[in-house]
Amino acid sequence: MKRVVALLVAVLLLLPASAALAVDLDELLEESREAAYSAEQLITCTTPDGIRDALIELEQQGGEVRYGGKSETGPQVWSGFGGWVVQSDGSVVESATVTADQPDDVDEPTYVVEEREETSYLGRDSTRYALLDGDLSRAELVVDNETGVLMSVTTFDSDGNPYCERRFVSYDPQAPDWKTIESETSEELAVTTTSHLPSELSGFTLLDSYVDDAGLTFGYYSDGFFSFAVFESTVDIVLDRGVEYVLDGHAYQREFTPGQVTYTWPVQGGGMALIGDLPPDMHDTALSGLPTPYDAGFFRRLWRSLFG
Amino acid sequence: MRHSGELISAYLDGELGGEELRDLFQHLGECGRCTDELMQIQEVRGAIRSLPVMEVPPGLVPVADVVPLHRNRGFWASAAAAVVIVVIAIAALVTPPATTISADDLNSRFAARVSLDPAFGPAKVILPDLIEVPE
Repeated sequence: MKRVVALLVAVLLLLPASAALAVDLDELLEESREAAYSAEQLITCTTPDGIRDALIELEQQGGEVRYGGKSETGPQVWSGFGGWVVQSDGSVVESATVTADQPDDVDEPTYVVEEREETSYLGRDSTRYALLDGDLSRAELVVDNETGVLMSVTTFDSDGNPYCERRFVSYDPQAPDWKTIESETSEELAVTTTSHLPSELSGFTLLDSYVDDAGLTFGYYSDGFFSFAVFESTVDIVLDRGVEYVLDGHAYQREFTPGQVTYTWPVQGGGMALIGDLPPDMHDTALSGLPTPYDAGFFRRLWRSLFG
Repeated sequence: MRHSGELISAYLDGELGGEELRDLFQHLGECGRCTDELMQIQEVRGAIRSLPVMEVPPGLVPVADVVPLHRNRGFWASAAAAVVIVVIAIAALVTPPATTISADDLNSRFAARVSLDPAFGPAKVILPDLIEVPE
């Protein structure tokens, strides 16, 4: 009998803490989305191409977010519920709208949320969580206990090194006083069922896809936390500030910006692009599941370089 | 004007002109000897031109000796270059400007879709390229 009790105690001791403290990721994020606040957010990403950072002022209310740089006269972004509008000097300079009745969610989330510890962040009671993929921590979240707001989010690469950190450096839990933006109507992209993009890509699920009037297709992939979009165009896609990245002998153009990466490459009859927030170690496997860059040949490249 | 076999040969080679040619014609009208000489030379040249052209038997002379000299190589090279330039210029004029799309335009669509993501919020805000990044 003593042996049985000892074995039971040993098993209980060996049980991972996460089993008892697991939190539903959707609930955590949903709670964050409903909060209202004003904050300053510092974004710092350590990328293979160098540090990418930005400081933005951010306000959230009713599921919508407004943000912009520190400059009072600079552009402001409004985003939420499938819309994204950039306004500068009182005019809309960029906008996009996607419509989906009820976007699908990932059936089987990749990550388990583990509650780590109670902490204090900007003087407020908070809780630290980890997003685990097996034993690998992919993200660490600091959540304000009172409002549910994500005060800090740090993502990690497969070696456990920080990739991007988004953290509030100031926080005001008061609802922002803002007016509804008056924007011009942009083309609404509706969900299509005719996409031929792969339904699974490197552990990411294709949630929905869209086609615009010009024939541009894009699909939205997610693993429950990280996400990216794949674009397929009938014309070349230009990445002005991109640098060359070679994968398996194929040349891509790549640009890291704060919190985001963009790849573009030519394919026969057009171009493709991948835009997302996934850590660098996920890039290669995602790209490998898509059509490889098309080598147009020396003379065509020469012709393009001369005449466009 | 003196008798001159050299002037007659030059005339037959088409190398005389202007005053020299007029002087020769004047001299030929006055000099039967030179006229006869001119006719004899023309007859000999005509006879030579009427001979059949024969192929050189293979092996009679080394191959290198029968390769024609490219005395006008510079001319042909210039002509070829000119043709290439003209073709490229015409093609450039008739080629329509390439249609492209900027990745920045795609970024807005990605950002719009992200706003429907359950994880949308401070962890997912997408920055447009218009926002200046502080140093």
